[in-house]
Amino acid sequence: MDVNFRKIDIDAYDEDVLHESELYEADPRDPSQVLSEAKAKSASVRSLLSKNDISGALSAVLESAPYGPNVEEAKIVTLQTLLTIINTTKSTEISGVVKSLPQDDQDTLMKYLYKGMAMPGWGDISGSVLLGWHEKLTEVAGTGCIVRTMTDRRTV
Amino acid sequence: MSNVLRPYLAAVRSTLTAALTLENFPSQLVERHNKPEVECGTSKEVLLNPLMISRNENERVLIEPSVNSIRLSIKIKQADEIERILCHKFTRFMMQRAESFIVLRRKPVKGYDISFLITNTHTETMLKHKIVDFIIQFMEEVDKEISEMKLSLNSRARIVAESYLTAFNT
Amino acid sequence: MILLEPHNTIIVTTLNDKLLKPATLDVQFVDYDGVRFHLSTPDRKVANIIHLSMNIRCWNELVRYGANEVLQREYGSLILDAPEADYNVTLQLDLEQIPQDQESRDAFIMSIALFKRNALAAPFERAFETQKELESSSSTSEGDLMEIHYRDEEAIYIRAAADRVTVIFSTQFKEETDRIFGKVFLQEFVDARRQPSCQNAPQVLYNNREPPLELRHLSGLQNTEDTGYVTFVLFPRHFGNATTAGGTISHIQLFRDYLHYHIKCSKAYMHSRMRHRVAEFQKVLNRAKTEVATTDRKTASGRTMLVR
Repeated sequence: MDVNFRKIDIDAYDEDVLHESELYEADPRDPSQVLSEAKAKSASVRSLLSKNDISGALSAVLESAPYGPNVEEAKIVTLQTLLTIINTTKSTEISGVVKSLPQDDQDTLMKYLYKGMAMPGWGDISGSVLLGWHEKLTEVAGTGCIVRTMTDRRTV
Repeated sequence: MSNVLRPYLAAVRSTLTAALTLENFPSQLVERHNKPEVECGTSKEVLLNPLMISRNENERVLIEPSVNSIRLSIKIKQADEIERILCHKFTRFMMQRAESFIVLRRKPVKGYDISFLITNTHTETMLKHKIVDFIIQFMEEVDKEISEMKLSLNSRARIVAESYLTAFNT
Repeated sequence: MILLEPHNTIIVTTLNDKLLKPATLDVQFVDYDGVRFHLSTPDRKVANIIHLSMNIRCWNELVRYGANEVLQREYGSLILDAPEADYNVTLQLDLEQIPQDQESRDAFIMSIALFKRNALAAPFERAFETQKELESSSSTSEGDLMEIHYRDEEAIYIRAAADRVTVIFSTQFKEETDRIFGKVFLQEFVDARRQPSCQNAPQVLYNNREPPLELRHLSGLQNTEDTGYVTFVLFPRHFGNATTAGGTISHIQLFRDYLHYHIKCSKAYMHSRMRHRVAEFQKVLNRAKTEVATTDRKTASGRTMLVR
């Protein structure tokens, strides 16, 4: 007798089964639009950095950051932009910059810090810089910020 | 605690503290069962985003939170063959005694050297901040222990070789 | 105890015992490298005649390199013409013939206890002689390569040249930990010569996997990751006179046992360290456990409530 049917995951065919897309609201923007926005932001961040406006650059890049599936490229561009900012910031300035950010931006920044640490050795990621920022951000925003990173399904 | 290691351990400490918000949560699939959801991985809605904290490629911690359990896996620094074998022996020795370590997992997650599984029962019967202390102290001391073992092996080898060779003089 | 002793302690203690209190005996025991001994009184009624038999895996090779002559020189008439079945060579000792004064008695017993060492010494002595001959005839040729397969997968190779004697040990590490520990130890043997105290020691070379040039032509060498070759280059100053030559032979024979003994010791030490460290971790974790407060609960009438 054919017993293969026993191995079928019948829960997947359940009417109430939960899909990845139901866990959070999808980004209303089109992937190509997201990518071009990310690239435009990268350019504007560079000009802000040359004016030494770090908090301006940070909030620019963290504003409506790409999330969800299909936008891998835009995510990478944004991460790269963010890394340029945090790598150029002096360690004494971090606290002040972090404090000036609104809570939503702090949460997004935390997401990016963890994303950066999850890819050690990629690009110009430096573990100690990310850890330094993480420490300062946790001081300012508290563990709640980490919990929100954990629970927010809109991964960056 | 050395100054280079401090931010790393601080990040692990805060992340672990944040993740250790566990509650009792019976299985949604099997009636009257209560399983650590992070190990079953059957219901997406109760699993949270896994977070990784890393100093570099060879030293990292993965924290996988879920509603009623978290899994914490550590990759311990191994500079050479000797450190690799010593680390392997040490973690194996500990994992064979997982019964008495309660929160220790018998097998590490793939790609890591040692894993801990903390469930809501553990956080209910033990003090949460002390569990965090334990993990942090483990991370601190395991590096130290391995480098000390390596040093003692080297110095023993030197003494052994010298005393064998000097005996030819007599 | 860092260095190993070349003699067999069981022989010494048993013989000393029997000298004090002669009695029948029948003991079998082993020494390093799977050498077996049998110490017995063949005739139950005659307690003073003791037979000591030895079995060495590589006996045939040793005989070829002159073991019989060396044993004849050391033990003379003590050697029985027909060795005991299952053994290669048998000595017959008469307890009543053993010298009475303490000093010569100890010397005699020690010479018996060096039975294995003397049998294994034959190829070394032959190599030292060959070196002298070659040196005096100022020839550039080399002596024959002597192979002693003293263990299943390990062997000693000895070759004499005009100015030196080369001794090569092939080693096998069965386990990965042993292999890595062994590497650390052998590296130290190579490096130790830089120490001023070891300037006069023989030169040590270590090859992993690849056999040294002297052995390249041999077939049947197993060259896996676990194999290593340790080469000792002995110069005439190590065997110039009879005493140093004897010391060198006793010492170099035990190289493999010495190395493995210390590898095992290191492992045991690591293990005790780990035990200690894990116990410490256990204490830290135990601090996390909450103490369950067990207070007596009393009923209104004053009786203790029991949980059933």
